[in-house]
Amino acid sequence: MSQSSVLSSLSKINEKYLMFRTVTSQTDAGDAKFLFSAKDNLTSKDMETCSGSRILEGYRPPFDATSIAKMREAGGLLIGKTNMDEFGFGTFSTNSAFGVPRNPYDLERSCGGSSGGAACAAAVMEGHVAIGVSTGGSICCPASFCGVYGIVPTYGRVSRYGLLDYGNSLDKIGIISSNASDLGKYVAIMAGADPKDPTSCVQPAIGSRRKLKSVAVPVDATEGVSEDVKKAFKDGLEGLKSMGVDVQKVEMSTLKYAIPAYYVIATSEASTNLARYCGMRYGHQDGDLSLKFDDYFTSFRSQYFGEEAKRRILLGTFTRMVGFRDRYYSKARNVRQSIIEEYRSVLSGCDAVLTPTMPFVSPKFSDISKMTPVESYKADILTGPPNIAGMPHASVPCGYDRDGMPIGMQFVANHWDEGVLFSAAEEWEKNFDAVRPEVSI
Amino acid sequence: MDRETVEKVARSAHLKLTEEELERFSRDLGDILGYFTILDEAPDCEGFGIDPIGVADVLRDDEPRIELEPDAMLEGMDTYDNYVRGPRLL
Repeated sequence: MSQSSVLSSLSKINEKYLMFRTVTSQTDAGDAKFLFSAKDNLTSKDMETCSGSRILEGYRPPFDATSIAKMREAGGLLIGKTNMDEFGFGTFSTNSAFGVPRNPYDLERSCGGSSGGAACAAAVMEGHVAIGVSTGGSICCPASFCGVYGIVPTYGRVSRYGLLDYGNSLDKIGIISSNASDLGKYVAIMAGADPKDPTSCVQPAIGSRRKLKSVAVPVDATEGVSEDVKKAFKDGLEGLKSMGVDVQKVEMSTLKYAIPAYYVIATSEASTNLARYCGMRYGHQDGDLSLKFDDYFTSFRSQYFGEEAKRRILLGTFTRMVGFRDRYYSKARNVRQSIIEEYRSVLSGCDAVLTPTMPFVSPKFSDISKMTPVESYKADILTGPPNIAGMPHASVPCGYDRDGMPIGMQFVANHWDEGVLFSAAEEWEKNFDAVRPEVSI
Repeated sequence: MDRETVEKVARSAHLKLTEEELERFSRDLGDILGYFTILDEAPDCEGFGIDPIGVADVLRDDEPRIELEPDAMLEGMDTYDNYVRGPRLL
């Protein structure tokens, strides 16, 4: 689609797929070199920023997030803010206060989450560049479910200034696109030290692309994974071998602790980060001011936070409480270090660790509604480990199930070694026959 | 998790839960914490920090500057005479 046809059909596309929370009213791309969207938890001067939450409805930030500012400086036109699970709390984008994005391969199924709108936009509009954010799997999961490429750079590679925090030691800004070459191109634009986010200031320069020569597959990588995903992953491995990539098996005994450790750290951080939403500074400010301070905050937060936000705030508050902090929060940080060390050890002998991205294809909404919270959290079993470790990782499409639903596989590289992921995705794209969704509006 | 603990945690988090929410979150949090018990068997290691990468202090000269106009900061807030309106203290 040309830039002008994208702009003129944006509202219509969104009516069908609900991938955007806000779209630009611009119909002329002017001198724009490219069009891009940003997840709705990144602040943007000209568009409302709600992070999928009713509590922020109406919030107009006075500044651009660094990632958005850099994309604009490079000639990008921001065409919309993409729909997402409230504050990133979800795996299926069903926890948004503003509708649920629809998978372009089957409208009855999820786009994944929490950057579901971003992956949907990338799948529907070929060549569209979508900025996503990953805390525990929120880029690779939707990229896998929507049959597109997604990359999460090393923690700290892209400044988090202007990102509405979920878990500040976990949040990472990346790219989703139907073109593998966009991953390296646009991460390079957004990356770099930014004094406004000190965690971005220790990074080395992005290295040049390095050909993928070897991958390690954890021996239990496909444990609990659906048969369709197993088959596509096996085909993916065969494809890599035919490209000359050496495949080895490895034991990674710490990965099974990643999901509980991730949820402890993420909810602990989220429960403090979300304390700022109290009805005085951002979004809705329509509480009853005759109430006392505590009562006002409590009534406001109880009214506007969604169910999963409340669940995670409660969980994170509990795991930080006196008497429980050592058992949960301190232990989880300890486990994170063990996982980092195990990745480093494995990656000293190969270029990347490879697993399927998700244990199943995108589920139907009717099945998601029956899942318990633990079942839903366990869906992150393969995307959680690199996220808690802050390791760069990328999802590439590697096959389709019998219903034509996309399946992805995930490469994990060492800290700051994005170059090998860019190269792996680009080489893979040349050897993989992608099936695009049929898009009619 | 028992209802009393959920109520205590909710108070601390500035959340007031309905009866139905209390019941649901009590059950859900019990299930989730049950799943977390696997952490008890995870091996310990040394040298863990807050962030997954090493970080360093970032310092700059202490020179005042205005990056965001104060008026822009107040836009969208409930203000009067440059004051922010809030609930009563007492």
